[in-house]
Amino acid sequence: MIESPHPPAAPATSPASREVTNRVRVLSVLVEDGPNTLSKISGLIRRKGFHVRSISVGPSREAGRSRMTLTVDAGHAEADQVRKQLERVVEVIEVEDVTSDDVHSRELVVAKVKSFQVAGLVERGAKVLDTGADGTTVEFAGEGKDVGDFVNELMRHGVVDVARSGPVVMRRTA
Amino acid sequence: MILEALEREGVEYIFGYPGGANLPIYQHLHEHPKLKHILVRHEQGAAHMADGYARACGKPAVVFATSGPGALNLVTGLCTAYMDSVPMIAITGQVASTQVGRDAFQESDVIGATSSVTKHSYLVTSIDDLPRVIHEAFHIATTGRPGPVLIDICKDVQQADAERVTPDRLEIPGYQLNGHVDLNRAGEAAQAIAGAERPVILAGHGVLLSRAEKELKEFAEKAGAPVGTTLLGIGAFPVNHPLSLHMTGFMGTGWNLKAVQNADVLMMVGMRVDDRVTARLADFAPKVKTFIHIDIDGSEMGKNVRPHIELVADARNALEAMTPQIGTLDAGRGQWLAQIDAWREEHPLKYTRSNDSHSNGRLQPQDVLIDMYRRARNEAIVVADVGQNQIWAALWWNYDQPGLFINSGGAGTMGFALPAAIGAKFARPDKAVWCVAGEGGFVMTAQELSVAVEHQLDVKIVLLNNFSLGMVRQFQDDFYGGVRSHSDLTHMPDFVKLSEAYGMPAIRVDKLEEVGPAMDTAEKTKGPFLIDFRIDPEANVYPIVPLGKSLNDFWEAPN
Ligand SMILES: Cc1ncc(C[n+]2csc(CCOP(=O)(O)OP(=O)(O)O)c2C)c(N)n1
Repeated sequence: MIESPHPPAAPATSPASREVTNRVRVLSVLVEDGPNTLSKISGLIRRKGFHVRSISVGPSREAGRSRMTLTVDAGHAEADQVRKQLERVVEVIEVEDVTSDDVHSRELVVAKVKSFQVAGLVERGAKVLDTGADGTTVEFAGEGKDVGDFVNELMRHGVVDVARSGPVVMRRTA
Repeated sequence: MILEALEREGVEYIFGYPGGANLPIYQHLHEHPKLKHILVRHEQGAAHMADGYARACGKPAVVFATSGPGALNLVTGLCTAYMDSVPMIAITGQVASTQVGRDAFQESDVIGATSSVTKHSYLVTSIDDLPRVIHEAFHIATTGRPGPVLIDICKDVQQADAERVTPDRLEIPGYQLNGHVDLNRAGEAAQAIAGAERPVILAGHGVLLSRAEKELKEFAEKAGAPVGTTLLGIGAFPVNHPLSLHMTGFMGTGWNLKAVQNADVLMMVGMRVDDRVTARLADFAPKVKTFIHIDIDGSEMGKNVRPHIELVADARNALEAMTPQIGTLDAGRGQWLAQIDAWREEHPLKYTRSNDSHSNGRLQPQDVLIDMYRRARNEAIVVADVGQNQIWAALWWNYDQPGLFINSGGAGTMGFALPAAIGAKFARPDKAVWCVAGEGGFVMTAQELSVAVEHQLDVKIVLLNNFSLGMVRQFQDDFYGGVRSHSDLTHMPDFVKLSEAYGMPAIRVDKLEEVGPAMDTAEKTKGPFLIDFRIDPEANVYPIVPLGKSLNDFWEAPN
């Protein structure tokens, strides 16, 4: 007997070469800038049982088009379904799955801390935006792991509030 | 402006219903005699009619509905078309653009409500966009993997005057039709089949949509590979061909399921490989070493079954590319085909005729269908509803032509058959059209009888009346502890009187010997006709794979 090439467990189901196994995908998506675009994309993600870990949207180089960076968990679906399903949306012009590619990934963090002693944060590269009676506001931008470390560091300064942009990505120059 | 654009797109039929938010369109309809508007009795009926029309002739029809309840009544019909990849253009009226978002009278978020059941949709708030949108909508609905497209047009836009611009250029950057075609591995796929010991081909609706029946037959004959079809693929391969496996899936024929479960190479063409085809996924085709999947929609690759070789292309192009590359067959096919023949003998389709000695004497659905199909031959269009009637109609005929069997496969929408049969008759007035339905589904859209009568459409309705929601009753008996919960249909209308109330002749049949004469009368009568066949309420669909089980575990009809 030959083993079934598609056992019930969702990931890693076959020998096919283009198969994608990492369930969390980072996608750079170029979309038409229209009133229906965001709701169609988010509706699709919900229907397919995917889960959005982060999303950021902004204007792209071309007028009328926006660039989205999405971090999506494929849920019970095969991981490459995330890209394929997004490509079916007519408002979506281009999807690049950059999960394991050589990219610059940056996320912006803006945080308010109770402490006025923020040297530890500045040492990590944070910038002080303002200081007032109730604490200090700082900003930090960095790669995934650095952001995680920075957010942990914030805890030690009596963090009041944090806002994170979600990562944006750009391919490295060749 | 809208109507002119529809004329330009070559539209023949509009199935619609007027209301406050689309009256500006209706005001000018009479100025466009080339557009034939059919007034339906419920918007769902309009969508199913357009669906039946497109399935019967391949061209899209247009649906009109007003805002709010009118548009929302289309949802089931859009879903039915979307699931089965049927082209359609739905044009809904929306409140004036200045009223959007104010909870105006009959305002609803139609784009939001329909985006999961349309291939694409547009909200038009400016007249300048309208010509482009209509042109794009037809292109998107009919190309690639077809599907319904909805255009929601604000009332003020319907009333606006604009210069008549003909959009000649199509520029839809996010819709790259041929951007994903991948036939690189066609040779490898052909050789995998050629080199197989136990090859099987399964063909779906995609083969019919791309009109690849001839190419499929050529490929199968050259490769010596047997071919089964999905429920929606019926007609893609002649059932009486020596290589035919008839229908696959959890109500497929025994010899088909045996072949699939023992195949070493399985090629799936123009199909989604959904749960109705695979039954328990983990046990689907367990001996297969090489899965080959051909579909025009790349997202189908690996959605349910991960293929070893994927060809993203139109079925016809793919088969054309593959056939010359088959070369010589490595393994003889004699043993495999003999094995399939043995399974065919061992697991035939069977039922007890109501005049057999051990019959309970009740009229059997097959008694009716066999008579009907003898008349329909491979010429008439048969439109089935959903439930037991659908599976009986699918299994009990040797279809050998494409496009003759129409049913709602993906959505399984009860109430589909009557309006879809009406649409099919509008599309193909040259063809006899039979509508097969259970009484449960029939009453869901029975109001469309008015349309059949008004236009004196030759649609013959074969009601398989088993006094119950038969498929539900069968599932409850077999898989839900035998508890018949709300599956008996009591207090149903007298169907003969109901038909007569609509101005349509009808008769009732209880016995086998009455079947032939009743069918004669139906055929002889001009215009629509209904026969209320009161069949055995305990008749079941076989074979059937118990819910949650594998294709190996199919049950057969008792002797
Ligand atoms: C709109 C809709 N509601 C419910 C169902 C679930 N369903 C599937 S088959 C069936 C029974 C159909 O009964 P009937 O129309 O009498 O046909 P039969 O099975 O008896 O041939 C039901 C309720 C469905 N498919 N569609």
